[in-house]
Amino acid sequence: MSTPVTSSEYMLLFKGTHWDHDLSPEEVQDVMTRWTSWLDRLTREGKVKSAQPLANQGKIIAWKKGVPVDGPFAESKEAIGGYFLLQVSEEEAVEIAKECPALKYGLVVEVRPVVDRCASIDRLDLAAAAN
Amino acid sequence: MSADTASPFMLLFRGTDWDRGLSPEEIEQTLRRWTAWFDRLTADGKAKLGQPLTNDGKIVTGKKGLVVVDGPFTESKEAVAGYIFLRVADLDEATEIARECPGLDYGMSVEIRPISEEIGRGPD
Repeated sequence: MSTPVTSSEYMLLFKGTHWDHDLSPEEVQDVMTRWTSWLDRLTREGKVKSAQPLANQGKIIAWKKGVPVDGPFAESKEAIGGYFLLQVSEEEAVEIAKECPALKYGLVVEVRPVVDRCASIDRLDLAAAAN
Repeated sequence: MSADTASPFMLLFRGTDWDRGLSPEEIEQTLRRWTAWFDRLTADGKAKLGQPLTNDGKIVTGKKGLVVVDGPFTESKEAVAGYIFLRVADLDEATEIARECPGLDYGMSVEIRPISEEIGRGPD
């Protein structure tokens, strides 16, 4: 297994578009207000490269029986509702992720290192070095 | 067409196991196609930013108290391998572009999502 990557950029992916389904409008509003203050604070601290919600629409192109097929995007536990792109260390990215106001309602935050070279290139290099 | 009428979309590339079973030559060739594709989109002013995500990282959940685990190490069809931000006319154009993704030949899927521009701060 390759050594873990250290990066100075991390993407928080907010997963699960169902977290608000059982909440009252007031509860949802409360989460949104806290989310906005959270993001505003991080932005003031200069940590945010970009941050946006993704609309619950769109398309998916997936491979089905040998042909790429268009389909509608569907809400699900794996669906991504938005992202933050942060310029921080991994530890800090995780601490920030823990502050997400929707976590207690079942939203999941994935913290991923952003790099310039994709993992497949690294695997190629490793394989070449082994030969 | 002018930049003012363009809308932002995010392409999410799902499937971190696309290269399993491929020869180094096939992988290298696909990566070269990918780079050429991305470079062309950037030169056309349609791609704003695009980066791969590594398979390392953490997953934070909070439904039953805060829990942080390592992940998503396992290569999977759902895991997000990278993204590209586009500025194009509409969903149809974004979809046309997504159909050119070299990873599609190997089982990767591409998600095309409109970005809610009114809220949030986009890549410059």
